[in-house]
Amino acid sequence: MGTINSAMSLISAALEADQAALNITSNNVANASNQSYTREVPNWQENQPIYLNGIAYSTGVTVTGGVSQRDRVLEQRLQQQQQLSSASSSLRSALTTLQGNFAPANGTSASGDIGTGITNFFNAYSQLESNPTSNPLRQQILSSATTLAADISGKAGSLDAQKSALDQSVNTIVMQVNALSVSLAEVNKQIQSLSPGQDAGTLEDQRQSDMSQLSQLIGVNQIMTESSGLSITTSGGQLLVSEGSAFQITTANVSGLTQLLLNGTDITTQLDSGGGQIGGLLTARDQSIPNTLASLDQLAYGMSTSVNAANNAGTDLDGDNGNAGNIFNAPMQVAGTALAMSVVMTDPNKIAAAGLGQGAGDNSNALTAASLATQAIINGQTPSDYFSNMVSTLGALVSQTTTENMALAASVTQLQTQRNALSSVNLDEEASNLEEFQRSYQAASQVFTIMNSIMASALNLGVETAVA
Amino acid sequence: MRVDPFYIVNLSNSLDQTQVAQEQLSNELSSGLRISQIGQDPVAAAQNVELLNQINRDDSFTQTASLTKGILQVTDSALGSVVTQLNQAISLATEADNGTLNTSDLKSVSNQIAGIRDEVLSLANTNYQGVYLFGGSHTGATPFTVDNATMPPTVTYNGDQDVNTIVSPNGQSIQLNLPGDQIFTAPGMSVIDALNNLVVDFANGSSGSGIPDTSALNAALTYVSQQRVKIDNSITRLTDASSAITGESMQLTQAQTNLMQADIADVSTQLSLTQSQQTALMDVIAGLGQGSLFDKLVP
Repeated sequence: MGTINSAMSLISAALEADQAALNITSNNVANASNQSYTREVPNWQENQPIYLNGIAYSTGVTVTGGVSQRDRVLEQRLQQQQQLSSASSSLRSALTTLQGNFAPANGTSASGDIGTGITNFFNAYSQLESNPTSNPLRQQILSSATTLAADISGKAGSLDAQKSALDQSVNTIVMQVNALSVSLAEVNKQIQSLSPGQDAGTLEDQRQSDMSQLSQLIGVNQIMTESSGLSITTSGGQLLVSEGSAFQITTANVSGLTQLLLNGTDITTQLDSGGGQIGGLLTARDQSIPNTLASLDQLAYGMSTSVNAANNAGTDLDGDNGNAGNIFNAPMQVAGTALAMSVVMTDPNKIAAAGLGQGAGDNSNALTAASLATQAIINGQTPSDYFSNMVSTLGALVSQTTTENMALAASVTQLQTQRNALSSVNLDEEASNLEEFQRSYQAASQVFTIMNSIMASALNLGVETAVA
Repeated sequence: MRVDPFYIVNLSNSLDQTQVAQEQLSNELSSGLRISQIGQDPVAAAQNVELLNQINRDDSFTQTASLTKGILQVTDSALGSVVTQLNQAISLATEADNGTLNTSDLKSVSNQIAGIRDEVLSLANTNYQGVYLFGGSHTGATPFTVDNATMPPTVTYNGDQDVNTIVSPNGQSIQLNLPGDQIFTAPGMSVIDALNNLVVDFANGSSGSGIPDTSALNAALTYVSQQRVKIDNSITRLTDASSAITGESMQLTQAQTNLMQADIADVSTQLSLTQSQQTALMDVIAGLGQGSLFDKLVP
């Protein structure tokens, strides 16, 4: 039975619904610049009709709340791309610094350039060939050896310093990751207790925002659990967040480098290829830089041992036959040779230019030493070829990473655009919604006014006095 | 179809990128280098290392060659003087051999030849910038010492037979010295012995015994001239090697320049394009960021 009372309560429910919709629209507009906000759309629900004597009487409409316009799959894809993209970015940044140590020489007198240093050293021996007893020419050999050793050990020192700097950055990021895990566990708890079966609106926004930040820092996988919980593991499978508990990553210093531990397991190697800024930094720290250092060590080792052997295979100015001494400090093993490379010979008379058993004016050992420049003394290559290959390998790595980085950044932008298209607040749309709900409210309040005067008439039972 | 309301952000990212490109191009223009980092062109960077290495080696050889030529020329000049002295000795001996001179004249010839022998020994002990040229590898000690106690004086060679060579970047081996005992006291061709014998021959005032020794001196002179040719050859080969290497160095320098130098015209064009792109983007961003439907709503 449709009564005036029921009509009035129907319309006041409508007014409430319109108010709720206006509220949601205002909230959208307020958060229009918030990039991690997901716009909400009012959920209009027609109320259940009442059945009396077989006749259905409508009971109006309710707004049950805002529905966040969110695509979980899209957001997850975006977060995965962000992991890859940040890893690539931080690797690229580290490699750019690394390659700065080997900038191309623009002439034959470039200082600090290893290639130039190698050539100048062997040239000094070539010049000694014409006048083996000349003191200035012998001094020249020692000074070019010193320059070469300084160039190589200087670069090695630079690389070590960069490794330490990256190590520091890793520590900083671990702290940020730990803070985010705690925050995510909190939000998880709240979501699970407050809205286990449906999209949690603002809380979900916060969770997604935290996930996005986390994804940029470290490679993670996420799994939705029952009652809207989110389980987060590292890409290697170690648990970071589960329900309301966050597991912290701890650090340990092993041989001067930070190792990362989670739940008792060393996850450093896993994280290396896992993504996120940490992934990129660890790749640079544990692969790119050590590989370059190893090449420098090979170069230093080959040069030192070959040159020393050559000097000990001749006769010096003091008459030492076959044991004139070492020019460079003799390395025990390949690792660490570059950093420790130095010249130990101080007396130019100890340079063995003459062959074994020959007088001081003989130049055959100087010839032998000079010819090392064109012999395969470094891992099967001449010193110049070896250095040239080192340069091209490193350069190719940088180039490849740069290209990858650009492609990944573009794909992140694309996914971001798609996500924003769905979930961001469009002011024009909100403005027109506002108009619509405003009109709807006006119409409902107009109906209310009319119903009110009908009610007044009913109360007065036709007599137009007392109640108006 | 919904649109990303934050698309302006993408435009401003593009604006950032044009600024980065602009900075890179300006750096190229100011430094003149196409490649300032090895990642920009790894193959070229590697080639650059090899080219500079070769150019550097070539330039160093050119320097060494000119120093070495100096030494060779001094050697050659000493040998030239030796030849002159020997020719004079032969002419004196020939005159003495024809029997027209008297005893005191013959004694005089003997003394002159003795003087020539001493001069030749002095030339054999030529020292250039602290280095004895005819001592083999014993360049620090006088190659030939003379003991005047005997008649004729005993000449001792203190050097050895060592021969030095230098190697050009093209692998050419060039001889640098002649050991003294191969020129002056060669067995059977000894210049010193021949001169000493002539001194003795004419000292006694008799002429006939000088004839075989004069022939011996002639043979020794021919031999010295032949040895001298080795040094002349070295000078020629060194000069040729030096100019070939200089030519190669110039070519390689050209190649290296082409590899590494920025193409100024190209860079300027790109820079101007980037600047237009930047201006266009800024106009678009300024024009698009204007307002929404809210501005039109009448309250």
